[in-house]
Amino acid sequence: MKVRRLIATAAIVVIAAAVQTTMFATIRPFDAAPALVLLVVIAFARHLPAEAALLLGFGAGILQDLLSDSALGLWALVLTTVAFFVLRFRDRLEDDFSLIGPFVFGVTAGGLALFSVLSTIFGEKTLADVGLIKKVLLPSLYNMVLAAPILPFATWVLGAARRRSTPFQL
Amino acid sequence: MWRPSNIDRPTGIFVGLLVLSLALVTIDLRASGEGLGSTLRDGAQAVFAPVERVVATGTRPIAGFFEDLSNLFSLAADNQRLRDQVTDLQRQLQETESVRIRVAELEALLGVEPPGGLDSIAASVLAVGVSEFDQVRVIDKGSADGVGVDMPVVDEGGLIGRVVAVTNDVARVRLITDPTVNIAVRIQRTGETGVLTGRGSGPMVLELFNTDAAVVEGDLLVTADGRFPAGIPVARVREAARAEVGFSLRTTADPVAGLTSIDFVKVLVFTRDEATVTDLEDQSGLPLPVPTEGGTPSEGDSDEAPTTSTTTTLGGSAP
Repeated sequence: MKVRRLIATAAIVVIAAAVQTTMFATIRPFDAAPALVLLVVIAFARHLPAEAALLLGFGAGILQDLLSDSALGLWALVLTTVAFFVLRFRDRLEDDFSLIGPFVFGVTAGGLALFSVLSTIFGEKTLADVGLIKKVLLPSLYNMVLAAPILPFATWVLGAARRRSTPFQL
Repeated sequence: MWRPSNIDRPTGIFVGLLVLSLALVTIDLRASGEGLGSTLRDGAQAVFAPVERVVATGTRPIAGFFEDLSNLFSLAADNQRLRDQVTDLQRQLQETESVRIRVAELEALLGVEPPGGLDSIAASVLAVGVSEFDQVRVIDKGSADGVGVDMPVVDEGGLIGRVVAVTNDVARVRLITDPTVNIAVRIQRTGETGVLTGRGSGPMVLELFNTDAAVVEGDLLVTADGRFPAGIPVARVREAARAEVGFSLRTTADPVAGLTSIDFVKVLVFTRDEATVTDLEDQSGLPLPVPTEGGTPSEGDSDEAPTTSTTTTLGGSAP
């Protein structure tokens, strides 16, 4: 994989985090915003080689951990798991593209739910949040909508074509 | 039969990264907000702040468009609401002067200093938390401007939170709605003390220790003398409550600060050390923290370090 694409991917993750913390501080329909970094991980993990996709999830998670109040490593764990999940299912998505929307919704909701459970286990009381359901479902819904522009954008940035026959062949 | 060779390379990397993540979590939790994790966070925030400034500037037209769009829909309703508010405020204005004199007398009796006498630093909100679960705001003033850790942050409505991390240029503020935050409060009308706890979003939970106390809808809760200076408005009681038998009195309260749409804030130049906070809590009859192994005493207004301290509530004790 070319270095240029790696740098582009890293830059897009950083920009996604910045957009998440600034623009989506203002644009918050029903007082919720999309989980943009998580969506970028899904979008790029569909095309990157397996190792790079997992490292992308881990790196994006570390960045999110550093910018949040959660314990360092929690988001890394969640986004690495998201990347792994995408790797396992990405070929099936290629076969039936109509599944991509529900898939993004499900993976986002699963990732956020996993974070809620893990952060509660590690003492952050996230499950005590009365708006928890809304904070899981609305970002998932917004991610599903934003997947329409973001996923093709990731495909374009990475030069589109995946040349592999199995989920893990590079 | 399971053999290591059954695991393909990506799965091995995945498991390795999970183990690494868990190790990082453990190290960070054991450091309790200090050490490497804290240093990395401060560094990341310092490096990331310029990126946020650029992106905020670049995306302002888009954000402004959507904001205008949402304002358009609510314009008529806002007009009517503001007209009603003007009428109401004119009436209140006439009543205020006499109330102000009475409040000054009561505060003098209670030995409470109004927070208005404190120096403050005006700041604007640069960014919000990176996920919906983060009850934090990043403000554009840091240690170079005089902002320090533990300083209270207010908006025109009341208390927003307190500074939990500072770099040279920016500071991170933890909101009062964070579920790990407990604030010592006093009902302004009666002087009864209690603890207000965040629930992530929506109304906060108020616990009073005098089970005979009367709480009515609309009662204003202000900070009691503790971590924060006394008298800052925090929340307004949502519904009247009566005591659960043998326990503390519980009800809910809405924050008076506009936490969902904060633009500009003021950082109050005020900090107290742990010993003073503990003394004040003892005097006011607030619940004492249960010391845990290696843990520092919990605050009356505390952001609980995960897994290091617990606060108990003792029912029925009058302040």
